[in-house]
Amino acid sequence: MPARYYWKGYLKLSLVTCPVAMTPATSESEKVRFHTLNRETGNRVVSQYVDSVTGKSVRDENEAKGYARGENDFVILTDDDLDRVALDTVKTIDIEKFAPAESIEWVYLEKPHYLMPDDAVGNEAFAVIRDAMKSDKVVGISKLVFGRREKAVVLEPRGEGIVLWTLRFGDEVRPEESYFEDIDEEADPDIVPLVQQLIKKKTAHWSPDMVSDPIQESLVALIEEKKKALKPKKKTSRTKDGPAPASNVVNIMDALRKSVADELRSRKAG
Amino acid sequence: MASGHRAQWKGFLKFGEVSCGVALFTAASTSERLTFNTINKATGNRVNRVFIDGETEEPVPKELQTKGFEIENGQYIVIDPDEIAAAVPESNKTLEIEAFIPCSEVDDVYFDKPYYLTPDKMGGDAFVALRDGMRKSKVAAIARTVLFRRMRTVLIRPHGKGLIATTLNYDYEVRSSAKAFEEMPKLKIEGEMLDLAKHIIGTKKGEFDPATFDDRYEAALEALVKAKIEGKALPKPKKVEVSQPNDLLAALRESAGLMKSGADKPKRTAANANKGVGRQRAARGAAGKAASSKAAPQRKAG
Repeated sequence: MPARYYWKGYLKLSLVTCPVAMTPATSESEKVRFHTLNRETGNRVVSQYVDSVTGKSVRDENEAKGYARGENDFVILTDDDLDRVALDTVKTIDIEKFAPAESIEWVYLEKPHYLMPDDAVGNEAFAVIRDAMKSDKVVGISKLVFGRREKAVVLEPRGEGIVLWTLRFGDEVRPEESYFEDIDEEADPDIVPLVQQLIKKKTAHWSPDMVSDPIQESLVALIEEKKKALKPKKKTSRTKDGPAPASNVVNIMDALRKSVADELRSRKAG
Repeated sequence: MASGHRAQWKGFLKFGEVSCGVALFTAASTSERLTFNTINKATGNRVNRVFIDGETEEPVPKELQTKGFEIENGQYIVIDPDEIAAAVPESNKTLEIEAFIPCSEVDDVYFDKPYYLTPDKMGGDAFVALRDGMRKSKVAAIARTVLFRRMRTVLIRPHGKGLIATTLNYDYEVRSSAKAFEEMPKLKIEGEMLDLAKHIIGTKKGEFDPATFDDRYEAALEALVKAKIEGKALPKPKKVEVSQPNDLLAALRESAGLMKSGADKPKRTAANANKGVGRQRAARGAAGKAASSKAAPQRKAG
């Protein structure tokens, strides 16, 4: 499934500007999702807006964003209005500074995005900025408006593209000193080499297998099974006949519990 | 240890046959951002959210809400939230290190949330030995356990006197960069263009401390709202001139020249501008003015 670009704008280094598109590096779309159902009817539960004074439901086209200027007094802002907030960082990633590649503390990294040229006209300019950062072993520092905040962002060259990280704000990262103050400065020099030996023995290459989700894997398998079991019945019983029999529900839970327990056991054994 | 803070999780950290008591503390939280109210345009009133049955449109009280998987269009298997919770096994409360991986191999796009990892009073010696061993060997550790009702993988690495455990996103939640960039043309820049770009980078090199960064959005939005209330025209977005491929070299040369001539003048990049303010939010009014008067060097259309 091709990812949708959720932001389009410009990448700028001094007088060089190129059109770029950005997409999040992470997505929840593959996650097994539960919906909220009405226990009595088996139908989906949906949310609806009602007017807080008249109590009547509000049509989609009448929903608007309101900036509170007083009690029950709102200034309505359209998306067009919001795009015109007087910050260049709404549309332009102007790289203001470059810092050594490893110098941004990981604890500040908030969310990764992939940045790429949005038009062939910018391919070369984009490549110049990317390759110069790569060759100098630096990351670019800039800022960008993201969901009603202007965030510091870090650009790091990766492959043909650039990874753009939003950074957390200073007041979002808790001061480490107050957590680590009681920990000893130095380890016993006789023990550290032993630890290093163990590290050497257990060193492996990074693999996405290390971040599998056994609970989700079981769910997916079981949903597939359920689908098959339900197929023949589908024609005779249409959607509104209510939830599946309780016995199926119990089976899923038993199987899940078991598979996760197995997973835990095998990990422990390994 | 870490007195005064509430631990998110307490358990054991195990490597080989060694284990020590540890606790996890939230290292980063999301601070409040500006939120808007949803308004009914027709009446100007605020709206409330209610939950209704998708077909009967009757309100559904909380106690009648349950969870389900959609297996076909509109067809569900009902599973009670209690049962979902019960599906997660009893935690063995142990972060067992499964592997160490070289720091250079860590793919950071998997990072989710960081936690400070600290030893309890008894576990201090093993903890600091692991910390220093990992630092010397330049590795991070991969460990798994049931955390917050999910089987989570964490990446553990030394950080100051302590360790940080970062939860990792699951494989299916992360798109690989290779895939994301696969359709991009393979261009390699060399020669004068690369040299000029590196020269420009050289003039902009420095340290960056994210803690000193300030958000100008709220002040800018206040200015916008004020203009709207007063019926003033909102500023038009500036037109951005894109560098044309045959002008790229000239633009790089011009940029590099600009850097040289401007080197004596105090540069006012926003990162520097925020330096003095430190952690506190910039004075609102002043920040708004600074934002609107920031003039980027404009290049003549080529």
